[in-house]
Amino acid sequence: MSQKPITRRSLLTSSGMLLAGATFMGPWAHTRVYAAMSDKPLKIGLTSDASGQYANSGASDRRGMLMAIDEFNQNGGVLGRKIETIHIDTETTPATGSRVAERLITREECAFLIGAVSSGVANAISQVAQKHGTIYLNTNSSSPSESGADCHRVKFVWDGNGTNFANAAVRNAIDSFGKNWMLVTNDYVWGHDTSAATRKLVDSYGGAIVDEVLVPQGTRDFSSILVKVQQAAPDVVAAAVGGDDQKAMRQQVAQLGMGEKPAWINNQQDWPDVYGLPLDNLFGVFGTTWYWKLDLPGVAEFVKRYQAQYPDTAMRVPGNVFYNGYVATRELLRGVEEAGTTNNIAVIKLLEGRKMSAEDRMQHNDAWIDPVTHQVQQTIYLATANEGAAEPDDMFKILSHTAPDTVADTAAQDACKLESYEDTPTYEV
Amino acid sequence: MTLLPHILNGLTLGLLFALIALGFMLIVSVMEVINLAHGSLFALGAYFALWVIAPELAGFAEVAEAYAGLPIALRYGLALVIAPLGVAAVGMGLEVCLRRTYGKAPLYGLLLTFGAALVLEELIRTVWGPTEQHLPLPDAINGATLFVGIIYSKYKLYAAGFALVAVFCVWLFLEKTPYGAIVKAGAHDSEMVRALGIDLGRFRMLVFGLGAALAGLAGIVMVPIWGLRPHVGIDVVIPAFLIIVLGGVGSFWGAVVASILVGLAVGLTGAYATEWSLISMYLLLILVLTFRARGLFGRKSILEN
Repeated sequence: MSQKPITRRSLLTSSGMLLAGATFMGPWAHTRVYAAMSDKPLKIGLTSDASGQYANSGASDRRGMLMAIDEFNQNGGVLGRKIETIHIDTETTPATGSRVAERLITREECAFLIGAVSSGVANAISQVAQKHGTIYLNTNSSSPSESGADCHRVKFVWDGNGTNFANAAVRNAIDSFGKNWMLVTNDYVWGHDTSAATRKLVDSYGGAIVDEVLVPQGTRDFSSILVKVQQAAPDVVAAAVGGDDQKAMRQQVAQLGMGEKPAWINNQQDWPDVYGLPLDNLFGVFGTTWYWKLDLPGVAEFVKRYQAQYPDTAMRVPGNVFYNGYVATRELLRGVEEAGTTNNIAVIKLLEGRKMSAEDRMQHNDAWIDPVTHQVQQTIYLATANEGAAEPDDMFKILSHTAPDTVADTAAQDACKLESYEDTPTYEV
Repeated sequence: MTLLPHILNGLTLGLLFALIALGFMLIVSVMEVINLAHGSLFALGAYFALWVIAPELAGFAEVAEAYAGLPIALRYGLALVIAPLGVAAVGMGLEVCLRRTYGKAPLYGLLLTFGAALVLEELIRTVWGPTEQHLPLPDAINGATLFVGIIYSKYKLYAAGFALVAVFCVWLFLEKTPYGAIVKAGAHDSEMVRALGIDLGRFRMLVFGLGAALAGLAGIVMVPIWGLRPHVGIDVVIPAFLIIVLGGVGSFWGAVVASILVGLAVGLTGAYATEWSLISMYLLLILVLTFRARGLFGRKSILEN
């Protein structure tokens, strides 16, 4: 039997390999190399608008995310890792959204992306996120297509959508105000999807659409549109106009004194869009997912936490956009903690179908994440201007709250085709 | 559909566009500078007016209360005078910064005014906050009025009337005063103006101040229609620039006629195909420039030198 002699070279090579293997796989739990990986801060990319139509809402959304992250960091972060954030302005522009998402994932190595107000931007970001397998929270955009035709395995949608709000409002409005409806629709994805949902509901409840006006994004003069509304003389105007366009429209409707007649149904009213305006700008009935004066446990304490966190913010009380940013981020971080990993598939599986108690979310009904569409099913509130309120910030008068299953967007369930787990790239940072 | 309300609407809109473009036109004509800070000066005018109408005097509660007791019409009138003067001062400061760019490629002035626009917008955000604000108005120009069966905003009619008066006053200034003659001469041949013993530096500063004051005035008049937020100015620069190019750079009446045409295009398109209303102004620009490259009333432009 021949025996190979142990040379100095082979001894050195084997020792080196043994040492290298032991560095990573030795019995010790906390080597320097292992520590460097596990203690690496968890970076989250904030994809909210800081300029353009939704700059103000984007700032509010971001404040919500940052408060949730701050609370986790005060308790040691998540999985023992401190959470860091990086924000790049998505400029309320889909092309910028794509670019920002690509950079945050490939260059900044963010574990998750959070934030959106514009549905066009959210859709653009989610396409990039799906390509890489990065989990993305669409916190505040509310086009039905976001959890319908444009849904993705990595995307979770936290706001109520146009169909949810229309479901809550249309039947009551037909009974109370009349059957002849006119649609005033922002000419982009959210407006079109919301208008389609409203049209379908109006038809199904025996109403009629007498006209529809498409409003280009960036419209500041609504005179010709309001002349058309007067000429069509509908019973109800259902408006799906958002951001700065909506602010200009409200101001001009108020000047004409048209807020009372016809009746106005404004699909959703984001708090940053109306905060501080005179109440006559807040005409009609509109939807929201949360209000700072809800008489529910935890709400007052949440408002105090907001005020302590942001003492210098012009908006003295939190609104629905802040709320969505906060609860979405909090739930994701809880999910990561429970999953014990940042692995995308593990976290996605944990979030799908996840139940969230009414008390925890400070709403009237329990909520859950629909595993088919990835949209949070939650209580929808209808509100109007709160005339004669004791406090200037108490601008909304909540008219009703509707349980999630009553306002569910069933069309989204048919339209949404999530990519399979196998077709979603594994992602872990 | 009755056409008359839409024509009236287009005309009022055109007058408002003219008001927006006046200050921009003056600065382009005389200074050969495309002032990208025009929108921020527009916004600043409205915020200064907010200060004058409803000041927040921390520590002077009694003074603030007494001032708030003055009639709103008086405070609004004061704002129409004081706020544009404030913007003029800011504009003159900007002109001082611009001096180093004179005689260099136009890009330098363009970049400087773009930078100034960003700084001013951020300054507004810091001082007045990022949220939507409301400019209080006298009751006489608030509310609605009925005209040929259609409800009109009294304020919109007031704003259009105001714009008409402003256009007339600027025309009077340019055509009927010796200062106007200097402005026009300065636009045509600034070296000759200097040779005639006129202090060109002071003259340019005053023209820039006047242009900035007109931008501020337009801001005060427009924000009750558009709403008041720090970035409201970005809605101004593109229409103003488009109107100047459409009318012919340096032409006063060109700018006025172009404003009316743009107003009518947007108003009438809004009546029949609202989704095309914003793009209609660009289509109009393409149409005119295809046949008249220097705009409607344009002669050889100073920017071509």
